[in-house]
Amino acid sequence: MPEPPERSPARGRGPGGERAASPPAAAALTASGTIDGIPVTVRRGTTLLSAARELGIDIPTLCHHEGLPPEGSCRLCLCEVKGQLAVSCMYPLAADGFAALTGSPAVMEARRHVIWLLAARAPKAPRIARLAEEYGARPDPRFMKDPDGCIRCGRCVRACRASGPEAIALCGRGYGRFVTGPFGRPPEDCIGCLACALSCPVGKIAFSERPDRRRIWERDFELAPCPECGARVFTREQLAFHGAAASALCPSCRRRAMAGELRKAAAFEAAPALARSL
Amino acid sequence: MPAPPKAISATPSRCIGCLTCELACASRGWQETYPYPARISLVFFRDGAKIPLTCFQCDNAPCLSVCRTGSLTRDGLGVVASDPAKCIGCRACSAVCPFGNIVYSPAVRAAVKCDQCGGEPRCAAACPSGALRYVDAAADVKAKREAFARTLKAAAEAL
Repeated sequence: MPEPPERSPARGRGPGGERAASPPAAAALTASGTIDGIPVTVRRGTTLLSAARELGIDIPTLCHHEGLPPEGSCRLCLCEVKGQLAVSCMYPLAADGFAALTGSPAVMEARRHVIWLLAARAPKAPRIARLAEEYGARPDPRFMKDPDGCIRCGRCVRACRASGPEAIALCGRGYGRFVTGPFGRPPEDCIGCLACALSCPVGKIAFSERPDRRRIWERDFELAPCPECGARVFTREQLAFHGAAASALCPSCRRRAMAGELRKAAAFEAAPALARSL
Repeated sequence: MPAPPKAISATPSRCIGCLTCELACASRGWQETYPYPARISLVFFRDGAKIPLTCFQCDNAPCLSVCRTGSLTRDGLGVVASDPAKCIGCRACSAVCPFGNIVYSPAVRAAVKCDQCGGEPRCAAACPSGALRYVDAAADVKAKREAFARTLKAAAEAL
Protein backbone atom coordinates (compact mmCIF):
# COMPACT_ATOMS: atom_id res chain seq x y z
CA MET A 1 0.00 0.00 0.00
CA PRO A 2 1.45 3.44 -0.88
CA GLU A 3 2.16 5.79 1.99
CA PRO A 4 -0.45 8.54 2.34
CA PRO A 5 0.89 11.95 1.37
CA GLU A 6 2.33 13.95 4.24
CA ARG A 7 -0.19 16.37 5.68
CA SER A 8 0.61 19.55 7.52
CA PRO A 9 -1.12 19.79 10.89
CA ALA A 10 -3.05 22.82 9.69
CA ARG A 11 -4.80 20.72 7.06
CA GLY A 12 -6.79 19.04 9.75
CA ARG A 13 -7.61 15.49 10.61
CA GLY A 14 -7.91 13.45 7.47
CA PRO A 15 -6.63 9.90 7.11
CA GLY A 16 -2.98 9.77 8.04
CA GLY A 17 -3.31 12.69 10.42
CA GLU A 18 -2.81 10.45 13.40
CA ARG A 19 0.15 8.70 11.81
CA ALA A 20 1.89 12.03 11.27
CA ALA A 21 1.55 12.98 14.95
CA SER A 22 4.94 13.21 16.61
CA PRO A 23 5.55 13.19 20.38
CA PRO A 24 5.51 17.01 20.81
CA ALA A 25 2.06 17.05 19.21
CA ALA A 26 0.79 14.42 21.65
CA ALA A 27 -0.56 17.06 24.02
CA ALA A 28 -2.74 18.40 21.22
CA LEU A 29 -4.30 14.96 20.83
CA THR A 30 -5.88 15.12 24.26
CA ALA A 31 -8.44 17.38 25.83
CA SER A 32 -8.57 18.16 29.55
CA GLY A 33 -11.41 19.59 31.58
CA THR A 34 -13.93 18.62 34.19
CA ILE A 35 -17.11 16.57 34.23
CA ASP A 36 -19.26 17.22 37.30
CA GLY A 37 -16.17 18.84 38.80
CA ILE A 38 -14.01 15.74 38.30
CA PRO A 39 -10.83 16.57 36.35
CA VAL A 40 -10.44 14.35 33.33
CA THR A 41 -8.14 14.03 30.30
CA VAL A 42 -9.43 12.22 27.23
CA ARG A 43 -8.35 11.62 23.67
CA ARG A 44 -9.44 14.65 21.66
CA GLY A 45 -12.76 14.04 19.95
CA THR A 46 -14.04 11.61 22.59
CA THR A 47 -17.71 12.29 23.13
CA LEU A 48 -18.86 13.74 26.42
CA LEU A 49 -21.06 10.68 26.89
CA SER A 50 -18.26 8.14 26.68
CA ALA A 51 -15.94 10.30 28.80
CA ALA A 52 -18.61 10.53 31.50
CA ARG A 53 -19.35 6.81 31.35
CA GLU A 54 -15.64 6.13 31.63
CA LEU A 55 -15.80 8.01 34.95
CA GLY A 56 -18.73 5.88 36.05
CA ILE A 57 -21.25 8.68 35.67
CA ASP A 58 -24.63 7.37 34.61
CA ILE A 59 -26.26 9.22 31.72
CA PRO A 60 -29.45 7.59 30.42
CA THR A 61 -29.59 6.92 26.67
CA LEU A 62 -31.98 5.26 24.25
CA CYS A 63 -30.84 5.99 20.70
CA HIS A 64 -27.15 5.54 21.52
CA HIS A 65 -25.50 2.23 20.60
CA GLU A 66 -21.79 1.63 21.09
CA GLY A 67 -21.48 -0.03 17.71
CA LEU A 68 -23.46 2.47 15.62
CA PRO A 69 -22.80 6.07 14.61
CA PRO A 70 -24.47 8.51 17.03
CA GLU A 71 -27.57 10.29 15.87
CA GLY A 72 -28.63 12.32 18.90
CA SER A 73 -32.27 11.75 18.18
CA CYS A 74 -33.71 10.71 21.55
CA ARG A 75 -32.26 13.77 23.38
CA LEU A 76 -32.13 11.83 26.61
CA CYS A 77 -28.40 12.25 27.17
CA LEU A 78 -28.59 16.06 27.37
CA CYS A 79 -25.88 17.62 29.52
CA GLU A 80 -24.84 21.15 30.29
CA VAL A 81 -21.69 22.60 28.76
CA LYS A 82 -20.82 26.31 29.03
CA GLY A 83 -24.30 27.06 30.33
CA GLN A 84 -25.95 25.46 27.31
CA LEU A 85 -27.60 22.11 26.83
CA ALA A 86 -25.68 19.72 24.60
CA VAL A 87 -26.47 16.23 23.35
CA SER A 88 -23.63 14.39 25.04
CA CYS A 89 -23.55 11.37 22.67
CA MET A 90 -22.64 13.75 19.82
CA TYR A 91 -20.65 16.35 21.73
CA PRO A 92 -16.94 15.87 21.00
CA LEU A 93 -14.52 17.10 23.63
CA ALA A 94 -12.30 18.93 21.18
CA ALA A 95 -10.43 21.47 23.30
CA ASP A 96 -8.99 21.90 26.79
CA GLY A 97 -10.96 23.61 29.52
CA PHE A 98 -14.38 22.07 29.12
CA ALA A 99 -16.60 21.99 32.20
CA ALA A 100 -19.58 19.73 31.75
CA LEU A 101 -22.43 19.04 34.14
CA THR A 102 -24.40 15.84 33.76
CA GLY A 103 -26.97 16.32 36.50
CA SER A 104 -27.51 20.06 36.97
CA PRO A 105 -31.06 21.34 37.64
CA ALA A 106 -31.31 22.52 34.03
CA VAL A 107 -30.24 19.09 32.76
CA MET A 108 -32.67 17.23 34.99
CA GLU A 109 -35.54 19.51 33.97
CA ALA A 110 -34.75 19.13 30.26
CA ARG A 111 -34.39 15.38 30.62
CA ARG A 112 -37.67 15.13 32.49
CA HIS A 113 -39.34 17.01 29.65
CA VAL A 114 -37.79 14.69 27.05
CA ILE A 115 -38.97 11.62 28.93
CA TRP A 116 -42.41 13.17 29.23
CA LEU A 117 -42.58 13.44 25.44
CA LEU A 118 -41.07 10.01 24.81
CA ALA A 119 -43.53 8.47 27.25
CA ALA A 120 -46.36 9.91 25.20
CA ARG A 121 -45.15 7.83 22.24
CA ALA A 122 -44.11 4.66 24.00
CA PRO A 123 -45.82 4.58 27.39
CA LYS A 124 -45.67 0.80 27.66
CA ALA A 125 -41.98 0.32 26.94
CA PRO A 126 -40.41 -0.92 30.20
CA ARG A 127 -37.34 1.28 29.87
CA ILE A 128 -39.41 4.40 29.28
CA ALA A 129 -41.77 3.53 32.12
CA ARG A 130 -38.78 3.13 34.45
CA LEU A 131 -37.30 6.46 33.34
CA ALA A 132 -40.65 8.21 33.74
CA GLU A 133 -40.89 6.83 37.25
CA GLU A 134 -37.33 7.85 38.07
CA TYR A 135 -37.67 11.38 36.72
CA GLY A 136 -41.26 11.92 37.82
CA ALA A 137 -42.52 12.43 34.25
CA ARG A 138 -46.11 11.36 33.95
CA PRO A 139 -47.17 10.97 30.31
CA ASP A 140 -49.72 13.62 29.39
CA PRO A 141 -52.89 12.22 27.77
CA ARG A 142 -53.09 15.40 25.63
CA PHE A 143 -50.06 14.24 23.66
CA MET A 144 -50.98 10.60 23.50
CA LYS A 145 -52.95 10.67 20.27
CA ASP A 146 -51.10 7.79 18.71
CA PRO A 147 -48.89 5.95 21.21
CA ASP A 148 -47.60 3.32 18.76
CA GLY A 149 -44.59 2.45 20.91
CA CYS A 150 -41.92 3.78 18.51
CA ILE A 151 -39.79 6.70 19.66
CA ARG A 152 -38.38 7.43 16.15
CA CYS A 153 -34.78 7.16 17.35
CA GLY A 154 -33.65 5.43 14.16
CA ARG A 155 -31.49 2.84 15.90
CA CYS A 156 -33.09 0.10 13.78
CA VAL A 157 -32.34 2.07 10.61
CA ARG A 158 -28.71 2.55 11.60
CA ALA A 159 -28.41 -1.13 12.52
CA CYS A 160 -29.82 -2.12 9.12
CA ARG A 161 -27.41 0.22 7.36
CA ALA A 162 -24.47 -1.14 9.35
CA SER A 163 -25.34 -4.76 8.69
CA GLY A 164 -25.64 -4.05 4.97
CA PRO A 165 -29.12 -4.40 3.48
CA GLU A 166 -30.32 -0.83 4.14
CA ALA A 167 -33.83 -2.18 3.85
CA ILE A 168 -35.63 0.29 6.11
CA ALA A 169 -35.52 4.04 6.60
CA LEU A 170 -37.13 6.87 8.52
CA CYS A 171 -39.75 8.56 6.39
CA GLY A 172 -41.78 11.74 6.82
CA ARG A 173 -41.14 14.67 9.13
CA GLY A 174 -41.95 15.87 12.60
CA TYR A 175 -44.71 14.04 14.37
CA GLY A 176 -45.49 12.05 11.21
CA ARG A 177 -42.04 10.50 11.01
CA PHE A 178 -42.00 6.71 10.94
CA VAL A 179 -39.82 3.73 10.09
CA THR A 180 -40.75 1.88 6.92
CA GLY A 181 -39.59 -0.04 3.88
CA PRO A 182 -39.55 1.80 0.54
CA PHE A 183 -42.97 3.15 -0.50
CA GLY A 184 -44.53 2.00 2.74
CA ARG A 185 -44.34 -1.61 1.62
CA PRO A 186 -42.65 -4.58 3.29
CA PRO A 187 -38.92 -4.01 2.63
CA GLU A 188 -37.76 -6.08 -0.35
CA ASP A 189 -34.10 -5.86 0.64
CA CYS A 190 -34.71 -7.17 4.16
CA ILE A 191 -32.81 -10.41 4.81
CA GLY A 192 -34.52 -11.19 8.10
CA CYS A 193 -31.38 -10.95 10.24
CA LEU A 194 -33.24 -9.33 13.16
CA ALA A 195 -30.54 -6.72 13.79
CA CYS A 196 -33.22 -3.98 13.77
CA ALA A 197 -35.43 -5.72 16.29
CA LEU A 198 -32.50 -6.59 18.55
CA SER A 199 -31.24 -3.00 18.40
CA CYS A 200 -34.58 -1.36 19.18
CA PRO A 201 -34.30 0.23 22.63
CA VAL A 202 -38.03 0.02 23.31
CA GLY A 203 -38.80 -3.41 21.88
CA LYS A 204 -41.18 -1.99 19.29
CA ILE A 205 -40.13 -4.08 16.29
CA ALA A 206 -42.16 -7.26 16.42
CA PHE A 207 -41.01 -10.53 14.92
CA SER A 208 -42.11 -14.08 15.29
CA GLU A 209 -40.18 -17.27 14.91
CA ARG A 210 -41.48 -20.71 14.24
CA PRO A 211 -39.11 -23.66 13.88
CA ASP A 212 -38.85 -23.19 10.13
CA ARG A 213 -40.00 -19.62 9.48
CA ARG A 214 -39.36 -16.13 10.68
CA ARG A 215 -41.67 -13.17 10.21
CA ILE A 216 -40.61 -9.54 10.46
CA TRP A 217 -41.66 -6.33 8.71
CA GLU A 218 -44.67 -8.21 7.32
CA ARG A 219 -42.37 -10.51 5.43
CA ASP A 220 -42.04 -14.25 5.73
CA PHE A 221 -38.61 -15.80 5.67
CA GLU A 222 -37.81 -19.46 5.42
CA LEU A 223 -35.04 -20.59 7.73
CA ALA A 224 -32.93 -22.71 5.41
CA PRO A 225 -32.36 -26.27 6.64
CA CYS A 226 -28.76 -27.34 7.13
CA PRO A 227 -28.03 -29.88 4.36
CA GLU A 228 -26.31 -32.11 6.90
CA CYS A 229 -28.50 -32.12 10.01
CA GLY A 230 -31.56 -30.09 9.03
CA ALA A 231 -31.12 -27.48 11.78
CA ARG A 232 -32.51 -24.09 10.72
CA VAL A 233 -30.25 -21.25 11.72
CA PHE A 234 -30.10 -18.67 8.90
CA THR A 235 -32.70 -17.36 6.47
CA ARG A 236 -32.15 -18.11 2.78
CA GLU A 237 -31.81 -14.37 2.23
CA GLN A 238 -29.11 -14.10 4.88
CA LEU A 239 -27.06 -16.84 3.25
CA ALA A 240 -27.57 -15.27 -0.19
CA PHE A 241 -26.63 -11.82 1.10
CA HIS A 242 -23.33 -13.08 2.44
CA GLY A 243 -22.73 -14.82 -0.87
CA ALA A 244 -20.19 -17.52 -1.46
CA ALA A 245 -18.58 -16.79 1.90
CA ALA A 246 -21.49 -18.33 3.73
CA SER A 247 -21.75 -22.07 3.85
CA ALA A 248 -25.21 -23.59 3.88
CA LEU A 249 -24.14 -25.79 6.79
CA CYS A 250 -25.23 -24.80 10.29
CA PRO A 251 -22.44 -23.76 12.69
CA SER A 252 -22.47 -27.15 14.45
CA CYS A 253 -22.02 -29.03 11.17
CA ARG A 254 -19.29 -26.63 10.06
CA ARG A 255 -17.50 -27.47 13.30
CA ARG A 256 -18.04 -31.18 12.62
CA ALA A 257 -16.70 -30.84 9.07
CA MET A 258 -13.59 -29.06 10.29
CA ALA A 259 -13.13 -31.57 13.09
CA GLY A 260 -13.21 -34.31 10.42
CA GLU A 261 -10.34 -32.62 8.60
CA LEU A 262 -8.37 -32.19 11.81
CA ARG A 263 -9.02 -35.80 12.64
CA LYS A 264 -7.32 -36.96 9.46
CA ALA A 265 -4.30 -34.85 10.38
CA ALA A 266 -4.28 -36.21 13.93
CA ALA A 267 -4.53 -39.80 12.69
CA PHE A 268 -1.55 -39.22 10.42
CA GLU A 269 0.45 -37.71 13.24
CA ALA A 270 -0.23 -40.57 15.65
CA ALA A 271 0.15 -43.46 13.21
CA PRO A 272 3.61 -45.06 13.17
CA ALA A 273 2.22 -47.65 10.75
CA LEU A 274 1.54 -44.91 8.29
CA ALA A 275 5.01 -43.53 8.79
CA ARG A 276 6.49 -46.98 8.27
CA SER A 277 4.76 -47.26 4.92
CA LEU A 278 6.44 -44.08 3.67
CA MET B 1 -2.71 -8.52 11.14
CA PRO B 2 -0.57 -10.94 13.10
CA ALA B 3 -1.98 -14.18 14.41
CA PRO B 4 -1.61 -14.55 18.18
CA PRO B 5 1.78 -15.80 19.37
CA LYS B 6 0.04 -18.22 21.71
CA ALA B 7 -2.57 -20.79 20.76
CA ILE B 8 -4.90 -23.30 22.36
CA SER B 9 -3.30 -26.45 21.04
CA ALA B 10 -5.27 -29.67 20.89
CA THR B 11 -3.83 -33.19 20.96
CA PRO B 12 -6.85 -35.35 20.08
CA SER B 13 -5.10 -38.60 20.99
CA ARG B 14 -4.99 -37.42 24.59
CA CYS B 15 -8.64 -36.34 24.74
CA ILE B 16 -10.79 -38.49 27.03
CA GLY B 17 -14.08 -36.87 26.01
CA CYS B 18 -14.98 -35.62 29.49
CA LEU B 19 -16.32 -32.25 28.23
CA THR B 20 -14.62 -30.41 31.08
CA CYS B 21 -13.39 -27.85 28.52
CA GLU B 22 -16.96 -26.98 27.49
CA LEU B 23 -18.07 -26.70 31.10
CA ALA B 24 -15.08 -24.58 32.07
CA CYS B 25 -15.85 -22.28 29.15
CA ALA B 26 -19.55 -22.02 29.95
CA SER B 27 -18.84 -21.36 33.62
CA ARG B 28 -16.80 -18.32 32.78
CA GLY B 29 -19.79 -16.14 33.60
CA TRP B 30 -21.57 -16.07 30.29
CA GLN B 31 -25.25 -15.59 31.01
CA GLU B 32 -25.92 -19.21 30.20
CA THR B 33 -24.47 -22.55 31.07
CA TYR B 34 -25.62 -24.94 28.38
CA PRO B 35 -22.75 -25.73 26.09
CA TYR B 36 -24.05 -25.07 22.54
CA PRO B 37 -22.64 -21.56 22.52
CA ALA B 38 -19.58 -22.61 24.51
CA ARG B 39 -16.61 -21.16 22.72
CA ILE B 40 -14.99 -24.55 22.56
CA SER B 41 -16.75 -27.71 21.55
CA LEU B 42 -15.87 -31.33 21.52
CA VAL B 43 -16.90 -33.05 18.29
CA PHE B 44 -17.59 -36.74 18.74
CA PHE B 45 -17.40 -39.25 15.90
CA ARG B 46 -19.34 -42.46 15.77
CA ASP B 47 -16.21 -44.59 16.01
CA GLY B 48 -15.20 -42.93 19.27
CA ALA B 49 -12.81 -40.29 17.97
CA LYS B 50 -13.03 -36.92 19.69
CA ILE B 51 -11.76 -33.62 18.37
CA PRO B 52 -11.78 -30.46 20.52
CA LEU B 53 -12.46 -27.46 18.34
CA THR B 54 -12.33 -23.75 19.04
CA CYS B 55 -11.72 -20.54 17.14
CA PHE B 56 -8.50 -20.58 15.12
CA GLN B 57 -8.10 -16.78 15.37
CA CYS B 58 -7.63 -16.68 11.56
CA ASP B 59 -5.11 -14.26 10.13
CA ASN B 60 -7.58 -13.14 7.52
CA ALA B 61 -10.65 -13.58 9.67
CA PRO B 62 -13.94 -13.51 7.71
CA CYS B 63 -15.93 -12.65 10.86
CA LEU B 64 -13.71 -9.65 11.50
CA SER B 65 -13.99 -8.43 7.93
CA VAL B 66 -17.81 -8.54 7.83
CA CYS B 67 -18.36 -6.91 11.24
CA ARG B 68 -19.42 -3.35 10.52
CA THR B 69 -19.99 -2.09 14.04
CA GLY B 70 -16.54 -2.64 15.49
CA SER B 71 -17.86 -5.30 17.85
CA LEU B 72 -15.21 -7.73 16.63
CA THR B 73 -11.66 -6.45 16.98
CA ARG B 74 -8.17 -7.90 17.03
CA ASP B 75 -6.98 -7.40 20.61
CA GLY B 76 -3.47 -6.89 21.95
CA LEU B 77 -2.82 -10.63 21.94
CA GLY B 78 -3.73 -10.88 18.24
CA VAL B 79 -6.96 -12.62 19.19
CA VAL B 80 -10.30 -11.70 17.60
CA ALA B 81 -12.43 -10.60 20.55
CA SER B 82 -16.06 -9.54 20.57
CA ASP B 83 -17.57 -6.62 22.47
CA PRO B 84 -21.24 -7.39 23.24
CA ALA B 85 -22.03 -3.69 23.72
CA LYS B 86 -21.21 -3.03 20.07
CA CYS B 87 -22.99 -6.05 18.61
CA ILE B 88 -26.28 -5.43 16.79
CA GLY B 89 -27.09 -9.11 16.33
CA CYS B 90 -26.94 -9.23 12.51
CA ARG B 91 -25.20 -12.64 12.60
CA ALA B 92 -23.11 -11.90 9.52
CA CYS B 93 -20.03 -13.18 11.37
CA SER B 94 -21.77 -16.45 12.10
CA ALA B 95 -22.92 -16.78 8.49
CA VAL B 96 -19.40 -16.35 7.09
CA CYS B 97 -17.32 -18.31 9.61
CA PRO B 98 -16.23 -21.43 7.66
CA PHE B 99 -15.75 -23.38 10.90
CA GLY B 100 -18.89 -22.52 12.87
CA ASN B 101 -16.81 -21.07 15.68
CA ILE B 102 -18.83 -17.92 16.23
CA VAL B 103 -22.54 -18.04 17.02
CA TYR B 104 -25.19 -15.60 18.14
CA SER B 105 -26.24 -16.03 21.75
CA PRO B 106 -29.73 -14.75 22.60
CA ALA B 107 -28.81 -14.76 26.29
CA VAL B 108 -25.78 -12.52 25.85
CA ARG B 109 -27.59 -10.67 23.05
CA ALA B 110 -24.42 -10.73 21.01
CA ALA B 111 -22.24 -12.94 18.86
CA VAL B 112 -19.89 -14.90 21.05
CA LYS B 113 -16.57 -16.54 20.27
CA CYS B 114 -13.38 -17.73 21.90
CA ASP B 115 -11.14 -14.87 22.99
CA GLN B 116 -8.68 -17.14 24.81
CA CYS B 117 -10.05 -15.68 28.07
CA GLY B 118 -7.77 -12.68 27.65
CA GLY B 119 -4.62 -14.79 27.95
CA GLU B 120 -5.64 -17.42 30.50
CA PRO B 121 -7.94 -19.88 28.74
CA ARG B 122 -10.02 -21.82 31.25
CA CYS B 123 -10.50 -24.80 28.90
CA ALA B 124 -6.78 -25.48 28.76
CA ALA B 125 -6.39 -24.91 32.51
CA ALA B 126 -9.24 -27.32 33.25
CA CYS B 127 -8.33 -30.09 30.80
CA PRO B 128 -7.45 -33.07 33.00
CA SER B 129 -5.58 -35.09 30.35
CA GLY B 130 -3.39 -32.48 28.74
CA ALA B 131 -5.28 -32.68 25.43
CA LEU B 132 -5.69 -28.91 25.49
CA ARG B 133 -2.70 -26.75 26.21
CA TYR B 134 -2.17 -23.03 25.92
CA VAL B 135 1.21 -22.81 24.29
CA ASP B 136 3.52 -20.71 22.20
CA ALA B 137 2.29 -21.36 18.66
CA ALA B 138 5.70 -21.44 16.95
CA ALA B 139 7.21 -23.71 19.61
CA ASP B 140 4.22 -26.03 19.36
CA VAL B 141 4.66 -26.43 15.61
CA LYS B 142 8.34 -27.12 16.17
CA ALA B 143 7.56 -29.73 18.83
CA LYS B 144 5.11 -31.45 16.51
CA ARG B 145 7.64 -31.49 13.71
CA GLU B 146 10.25 -33.01 16.00
CA ALA B 147 7.80 -35.60 17.33
CA PHE B 148 6.98 -36.70 13.80
CA ALA B 149 10.67 -36.80 12.91
CA ARG B 150 11.18 -39.17 15.85
CA THR B 151 8.38 -41.37 14.53
CA LEU B 152 10.06 -41.49 11.13
CA LYS B 153 13.42 -42.23 12.75
CA ALA B 154 11.92 -45.12 14.70
CA ALA B 155 10.31 -46.44 11.53
CA ALA B 156 13.59 -46.20 9.61
CA GLU B 157 15.48 -48.01 12.36
CA ALA B 158 12.90 -50.78 12.41
CA LEU B 159 13.54 -51.55 8.77
